[in-house]
Amino acid sequence: MPSLDASDRPAVNPNVAALLTWLVPGAGHFLLGQMRLALAAFILIEGLYVAGLALTGGAFLELLAPEIRGRFAGALTPEVGNFGAFLLHVRDIDFSDLTPPPFDGALFIGLALTSTSGILNLILASRAHFDARARSGAVIEGAAVHPAKAALLGWLIPGAGHLAQGRVARGVFCFVLITGMFTIGCVLAEGTNLDRTRHFYYWAGQTLLGPTAFVAEYLSGHPLMEIRPRYSDAGVMLASVAGVLNVLLLLDVYGFSDAKLFGRPLATEQKATGGVGQEAA
Amino acid sequence: MDDLGLHIALFLLSAGVIVAVTCMYTEAEDGKALRLFPRRYGTFVLVSGVIVAAMIVIQNTLASVH
Repeated sequence: MPSLDASDRPAVNPNVAALLTWLVPGAGHFLLGQMRLALAAFILIEGLYVAGLALTGGAFLELLAPEIRGRFAGALTPEVGNFGAFLLHVRDIDFSDLTPPPFDGALFIGLALTSTSGILNLILASRAHFDARARSGAVIEGAAVHPAKAALLGWLIPGAGHLAQGRVARGVFCFVLITGMFTIGCVLAEGTNLDRTRHFYYWAGQTLLGPTAFVAEYLSGHPLMEIRPRYSDAGVMLASVAGVLNVLLLLDVYGFSDAKLFGRPLATEQKATGGVGQEAA
Repeated sequence: MDDLGLHIALFLLSAGVIVAVTCMYTEAEDGKALRLFPRRYGTFVLVSGVIVAAMIVIQNTLASVH
């Protein structure tokens, strides 16, 4: 198979490329000399964050209940994926006295944009890591879809990354499992799970399902509740766990493409040949 | 206890999804991942049952507020 010999390119530490991207979107690819991608990524990802800030008026950590506010309260939010913007945001606004208007449509769209910015930047950082490794090693062209692209597709629609890799049955199965679990959660919680002002951290888990969660949130319309739904706790938990499980699927598609493109056996194949972890037998 | 049956059904359902996804993460080949499922699901439910039993015992002894 044709391969890209990258012996004449300067080596870039993959961890440095990923870390720089985490701090400033596009910085890793700037270091790798991919200027157009770096600039486009910076404009898109920071643009999403700025647009989100404009819509929320900076409201973010003040959505937390006072008793759970702390130094690291923002660490488990999707915004932390765009770390530079997150730090500036927290430094300038922190737990301000801003009182976000209840059930304001602009607020919820803004929160979706800032969290999308964070997650997209994490996927971009994973791309920078792969691209840096690809410069110092031979990549088999066309062996698989780019790992970061597969991960992005899997975030946009659960299971889509597997479909792009030609693993159709697994992709469909993953879609049914993850969206099914999320839907059951939403039904049990009667939509109350789809509201960051109600469930700050559980909502963060749901954002790992990508637009699926945002569309469901938009359709729910944030209804005012007079009575707490009977199974809201179970529903909130199920919907959030569905998002977290999608991360495992994203890691699965990333690892699969990564192994195929570098022409090395998958982690499970390595275990099998090494005589370790013969659980399947 | 309210709706114990529903809660058990929800637990078994969510456990099934969790175990299925971890099987797919562990094993790249679909057939092997499928064969991993029954044993792992049984272990997950069994260990969860043991933890629930321990919590109920502790709730009624050491951590009882009555």
